[in-house]
Parts: sequence; structure tokens; C-alpha cells
Amino acid sequence: MDKSPLIELIGVEKTFGRVQALSNINLKLYEGEIVSLVGDNGAGKTTLTKIISGTESADDGAKIILRGQEQKNWNAAKARKLGIETVHQNRALSEQQSIYANVFMGRELVNRFGFVKRKEQIKETEALMRKIGYTSKVWTPHSPVLKLSGGERQGVAISRAILFDSSLVMLDEPTTAMALSEQAEVMEFILNLKAQGRSVIFISHNPWDAHAVADRFVILDRGRLVFDGPKGNTTADEFISMLRDVAKKGSV
Amino acid sequence: MAIDNVTVKKIVIPDRFKPVLGASGFYFMMMAVFIYFAPDVFLQVGMFTAVFLSLPLFIIMGLSLVFVTVSGEIDLSFPSTLALTGLIFSLTLTATDYNFWLAFLASVTTGVACGLFVGFLVTKLGFSSLITTLGVNFMFAGITQVLNKGQLRQFPKFDDSPIRAAVVGSWGPIPAQLIWGLGIALILGIIFNRHRFGIHVHIAGDNPEAGRAMGVNISRVKVLCFVLVGVCCSITSTISILMNSTYYSTMGEGYLLPVLAAVFVGGTPVTGGKGTIAGLVIGATTVVFINTGVVAVGLDGYYTGLGFGLVIILSLLGHRALSGRLSR
Repeated sequence: MDKSPLIELIGVEKTFGRVQALSNINLKLYEGEIVSLVGDNGAGKTTLTKIISGTESADDGAKIILRGQEQKNWNAAKARKLGIETVHQNRALSEQQSIYANVFMGRELVNRFGFVKRKEQIKETEALMRKIGYTSKVWTPHSPVLKLSGGERQGVAISRAILFDSSLVMLDEPTTAMALSEQAEVMEFILNLKAQGRSVIFISHNPWDAHAVADRFVILDRGRLVFDGPKGNTTADEFISMLRDVAKKGSV
Repeated sequence: MAIDNVTVKKIVIPDRFKPVLGASGFYFMMMAVFIYFAPDVFLQVGMFTAVFLSLPLFIIMGLSLVFVTVSGEIDLSFPSTLALTGLIFSLTLTATDYNFWLAFLASVTTGVACGLFVGFLVTKLGFSSLITTLGVNFMFAGITQVLNKGQLRQFPKFDDSPIRAAVVGSWGPIPAQLIWGLGIALILGIIFNRHRFGIHVHIAGDNPEAGRAMGVNISRVKVLCFVLVGVCCSITSTISILMNSTYYSTMGEGYLLPVLAAVFVGGTPVTGGKGTIAGLVIGATTVVFINTGVVAVGLDGYYTGLGFGLVIILSLLGHRALSGRLSR
């Protein structure tokens, strides 16, 4: 690909105390592609997405370049403003608050005095809930999130990521605790994002899922990037044996 | 016969109204008891006027405590912040020959500084707000004593001033400060429920990590809550000084437990993420009436503490019966 990348990471390092979570990660991500980010537990996948989403800051010396512009003082609010949405592994929901408060968390629709446009938020949340298939009459936009099931909560977290006009959506283990039919919907949803021209970083423990939707694989192992290449004609079996090699030898 | 087919229509109360409903139910029950035992006292306008004189002070303090509690922190330093802002008000007043607005500005600035200080300790250094504010309470009380040197400061010139009439005069049987107190409650209530800041206060106490991940500046929200406490302290101390035309350095004592009681009796749980402004107003009214009520029904003043204890525990029972989520 000779297009210019949507986002480019140069020399990203992250240490937690004496643990090196990420070492010298260089990664380019292009528009409209799905990257499956895989690796064993503790490989640094979540840390990497947290750095991209601004939730965690990288160690000094790292560069984050978005659409050719180097970003200084990168943080979560800035990342969202510039079109990077994340579905966090822990879902990042405020459970005692209503569904609509969670959908608009951090990006409230406000008038110029900072007062929330409640009716608009409720209306948009209702439309979203219909779209993602909350057929149950029990839940309204006012329902607190703590009453929802695991899959329904994930639905709120995911719908939050599509509500805003994002250019990159990162999903960290989005299918955990989901029923099979719900998992299939999430896969469908990821392909849909691509069809809309958005980029996706998809993290999954399930190698078949990771293989199925990917345009490109990025494999991390104990904080190092050990493989970055297009899917091409790689079959699921070949992909899984690659992962096994990495787990055994630390390289492909 | 077909009794099984009879559908019992259940009245569904939305969860968000339950704490207010619980608090007001409890308040009316308590008042009924008082009226039953002392009708000649509790059915008189004068009784209510007397209660309404000091009620606004508890409301204004309690409002800021609701914000702090919902944001997941606690502030035990407000009694001495109250005394300190009052002292700065008094000192500026004397130094500027009764320039009320300058004195009030100095007092508010002090309150803001106190809030920033506590906020810094809690959010930047990561100290527990319970222990930090306990320490800060002693510290500010000490600073106040040192600066005040044991003086009682009187401001007789205020007695007939228009400012005093506007802030603590009386409109018929209603003291002006009650209107101010309720007005502030209304404004803070709207901010609490409808402003982005209020929404973020809820998130800060509910799941701060989620808030941070979604780009909410949780530290700033918490610091602003502590600053609000400081500002409310300066408003309360100013009203108190105008009421009595006197400053005394122990003016904050006697607020700590009743104000906290008002917050919790009002239906704001100690766990954060949830709270109610309307409940606080009712809770404060309940708490202020206990003092008067215990004496009026013919009990010794020594029973006030017992009355407080009973009310707090009974109200917790009531809230739990309604929502089941106030047990912690």
C-alpha cells in the first residue's frame, strides 16, 4: 500500500515499573482496513490499544502520527475528538447511570452553556437501541446499565463507538461473555465498519474470528511486534500454526 | 372463582425518584409524631420561622457535600473552612471599613483556595479524602485560631444595613435566607442533573476508570467539587455573620455531623455515583427539626443526640426498603 497511513506509531515503548509491556513498536494503519491484533496473554495488545486511545500514555520518545500530523500531549479526549473510538475490554460503562448517559459519556451533546440536550440524547439512544436490536420493552434509554445482561452491556459499549463519526474503531475482546448469535452479529458489525470506510483494530482470543475478518495480522509477543503482514491467501489453519510458532519460539 | 385472573396493577416508581420519596415520607412521619405530641408548638407559624432561620445554612453546606459524596469522595474539613472563610470576611470587613462586596470576594477566594488545596491532596497525591480532610479540618481550625487570637468580632454597623435586610431580613414569616438557600439549591440541582459537570460528577463516583477511558477529566471534576464546598462555606459563613452581626471562631462546630446526616438521610448513598439534591433539602429539614422537635415534645435537650441517632438509622431502613441499594 502506498497510501499515506491514517495513523502511524513510531518507537512506542511502555514500562510499568520494571516490566516492559511494549518495546519499540512501529505500526502503520491505513484507512478502511481491518487489522487483527493477536498474541498471548500479556503480549501487550490491550496496552497498545490504550496508548492509541490515549487512555495510557507511552514512554517518552514515542511518536503518534495521525493523518501526517505528529500528536503532542495525546489523551483520551483528544483521541475521541479526532475520530478514534474504543470498545474497551472492561466495557468502560458507568453502571449506575442510564443507558443514554453511558452512550454519550465524555461526548455529551450540550448547548453553549454546557447544559445537556437531554431530549436529543434520549432520542438518539432510542434509535441506536432499535438499530442494535433491543427488542425488549423492559429497557428504555433511562434504564441503568447495571440491570442489563453482559451481552446487552457490550451492545451499549459498541453502539457508543459507532454513534460518533469515527475513522478508527478499536475493539478489545468484544465477544467475551456473548452468546454465539451475538458474536456473529459483532463480526457482521466489524465488516460493516470496513464497508463504511472506517479502520478497525480487532483483538480476539479466538483465532478463527481474528482470521475471518482480518485484512492484515499483527502479532505481538511479550511486548514485541513479531509479525505484521497481509492476510493474502493464508488459511485459518496456517494462521493458527503461526500463532503456535510464536508461542513456542517467539517468532514466526 | 377466577381470582387468579385478577391482575393487580402495580404502581411503578422510577428508581431515580425513590430516594426523594423515601426522604419526604420519613420527614412527614416524623412531623406527624411531633405534631401529635406537641400540637400547640408544631402548628404555629413562629415555630417554622424559627427553624427556617438556620435551615438554609444546613442546606447550602449540604448541597456541596452531595456533589462531593456523589463524586466518590468525602469532605470532613468544611467546618473549619467555614470558620476560616468567615474570619477572612470579618478581617477584610474591618480593614476596608465595611466594604461588604470586597469582604465577600475575599471570603470566596479563600474558600476556593481551600478547595483547591484539598483537591490537590486528594487527586494529585492520591490521598484518601476521608483522612486528608480530617487532617485539613484540624489544620484550618488551627490557622483560624492563630489568626483570630481568640477574639469575638462584632459588626453592630450591619444592624440596619440594606445588605443585611436583603440577605437575612424577613419577608413576612419567611426569612430571606431561606429564599437564598432554596434558590441556590435550585441552581445547583439543575447543574447536578442537567449540566455536563453534574453528569461527570456522577460518573466520577460511579466508575472513574470508564470516565477516563471516555475522555472525562475525572481529577478536574473532583477538584471542582472540593472548590464548590469552599465556595458554599464562604456563602454560609457570610450569612451566619450577617444573621448574628458577630463572628466567632467556633462557628463551624456543630455543622459536621448534622450536615453529613442531612446528606445521607436525604437519600444520597455513601458509595458515590448517585445522589439527590431535592432529597438533601428534605434531609436538612428533617435534621434541623429534630433539634427543635425533641425539646418541643417535652423531652430534655439531652435527648437530642438520641433523636438524631434514631432518625438516621430509621431513615436508612426506609431507604433500603424502597431501593435496597443504600445498605453500604
